[in-house]
Amino acid sequence: MSKYISFRNRSGKLFFQFDKRAVGVFLGLGCLFILLFLAGLSLGSTFLHPIVVVKQLLGFGTGEHSFVIQTLRLPRMLLSLLVGAALGVAGLILQGIVRNPLGSPDIIGITGGASFAAVVFIAYFAETVGMNWLPFVSILGAGVVSILIYFLAWKKGISSYRLILVGIGMSSIMGALTTMMLVFGNAYTTQQAYVWLTGSVYGASWESVFAMLPWVLLLIPLTLLFAKTANALALGDSVAAGLGVNVQLNRFCLLFISVALAGSAVAYAGGIGFVGLMAPHISRMLVGQSFGSLVPISAITGGLIVMLADIVARTAFLPLDLPAGVFVSGIGAPFFIYLLYRNRNV
Amino acid sequence: MSAITYAFEKKYTVSLFVVILSFVLFLAGCGDQTGKEQTDNQKEKEQTEQTTDSENVREITHAMGTTSIEGTPKRIVTLYQGATDVAVALGVKPVGAVESWVEQPMYNYLKDDLEGTSIVGEETQPNLEEIAKLKPDLIIASKLRHEKIYDQLSQIAPTVTHDTVFKFKETVELMGEAMNEEDKADKLLADWDHRVADFNTKISSKLGKEWPIEASVLNFRADHSRIYVSGYAGDILDELGFVRSAYQQEEMEKGTVVLKLTDKESIPSMNADVLFYFLSDPGQENAVQNTYEDWTNHPLWKNLDAVKNDQVYQIDEVAWNMAGGIRSANNMLDQLYEHFDLEK
Repeated sequence: MSKYISFRNRSGKLFFQFDKRAVGVFLGLGCLFILLFLAGLSLGSTFLHPIVVVKQLLGFGTGEHSFVIQTLRLPRMLLSLLVGAALGVAGLILQGIVRNPLGSPDIIGITGGASFAAVVFIAYFAETVGMNWLPFVSILGAGVVSILIYFLAWKKGISSYRLILVGIGMSSIMGALTTMMLVFGNAYTTQQAYVWLTGSVYGASWESVFAMLPWVLLLIPLTLLFAKTANALALGDSVAAGLGVNVQLNRFCLLFISVALAGSAVAYAGGIGFVGLMAPHISRMLVGQSFGSLVPISAITGGLIVMLADIVARTAFLPLDLPAGVFVSGIGAPFFIYLLYRNRNV
Repeated sequence: MSAITYAFEKKYTVSLFVVILSFVLFLAGCGDQTGKEQTDNQKEKEQTEQTTDSENVREITHAMGTTSIEGTPKRIVTLYQGATDVAVALGVKPVGAVESWVEQPMYNYLKDDLEGTSIVGEETQPNLEEIAKLKPDLIIASKLRHEKIYDQLSQIAPTVTHDTVFKFKETVELMGEAMNEEDKADKLLADWDHRVADFNTKISSKLGKEWPIEASVLNFRADHSRIYVSGYAGDILDELGFVRSAYQQEEMEKGTVVLKLTDKESIPSMNADVLFYFLSDPGQENAVQNTYEDWTNHPLWKNLDAVKNDQVYQIDEVAWNMAGGIRSANNMLDQLYEHFDLEK
């Protein structure tokens, strides 16, 4: 029995191969997702029986709970999933291209750029132009900072080490600028900025779900198309070049996807950290090193992390509804230390 | 090793990348607009529904639009501290209110009046499910805090918003209108004006030529100090006839609410004839106490006019800063009568 299931069209131009283990893990995580999803829709200020929830979702509900389920809980769960998936894949790509297990959007400054842009916006412009523009501004921040990192790291092409060093430097600069904004900013608006920086999927609406959806639905499959080159890049620049990969072009495309995913996630959920770091590592423990399997697994793992964090955040301390970012960091920080500890001999 | 492999001819990959990318950008551009259209439609719908029964319906224009309210709302949820205070002052106990910043869950001066009121989470992130569970018929929110959730709040109950959280008189006016208690609201404001005038006459006759005097409101925190140039306490002092130093006046005109000082060299900017200070930062009392001692033992501090003339008062942060309502404004005024030894 082969380890793989293969598909190939007649001309041989289109070819898919699935690892049976990855498919198994994916299905397992899918079941976990369904359970968590139902739990998330049932739990809250008022507990709704899962059967009531399923009835409501299928359209046989009494209408009594439609507001709580459809307007409050469902978009929030879906947004958590999308944000987590985007961050998980963004982190996976970054860890691949910088070939460093500590690579993630919040460590190399992408999230920092988005945060700085968002805080400036909240402090100076939100009152006049309205909060609707916040997602746009933070994506712009992430984009501008990434371009800056890319050009500063450019020295006849991009080397992974330069990229991560420049990124960490940029991340500190952005952190410093954000702190400066918080000190100078108006005391009443900085409170809002703090909540944003912690990261929260609170108040998610269907509009934000639909605005986030295309990014995830298009960029994650797009990432899969780069699976082959990403696997080659993981072997080192010279080996990849020897295998016939255009290293600079592919790295640029992958970096771009990663920034777009991280930027859109940050735009709708604020500065949720550590997901981009944790999800790919957990996925590697589950399915090994192949990029193609890691993409869907990282996406679903990232989604599960944010969903779980948000369920805990909004139910554990009732009637308080806390930002999910607090709980992600609560698990994420020890995980980060564990990673450093595990890699101490590398 | 290779697990899922997707092979395309290379020329397809790059062109596909470009096509999908442009599509993403296109969709992202559309996303915002559809969102807005939807909410616009909703609002239109709401309006048409409401014109059908126009009996005793009041149209309230507020920071985030116009809201129709029918009759006298009985079940009110207040989503910022000032609104909770004003609801009590108007004689209505809210069914739900947000947690206070200190003395949680509710400020001591309101605790007795709010027995039985449910806490619906924090001011910065109120729990929508808890609010919905209370089945309110009016929600008082702040655009500053709740702009993002306004649509969801409006689906729970008619929601009126105030621009910010500390303009207590505007809060009284807005809530009087929304709660159909305009007479009571007018009375509260008239009483307030009366007390302000009384304070003004008494203090000017006591201080004589020295009046009006300069006042500064200071706050010592764990890692910095602040001057409240305008904002809640600043506005009230202004109304009472106190003046700001030239420097603080200039800052106020620039639109500064709070000046954050991180360096003791800026102590001279605190200068005034009278200093009111409070210590805050819940949970970091020791650090705050250290800041306070550090700053007040500094030679520059001893050089301030108010310090030389022994006109430095510690004040109650709830009344002066945290509460932002009309009852707290009266408490603040009571404290001023005491400090200046005036007869009420």
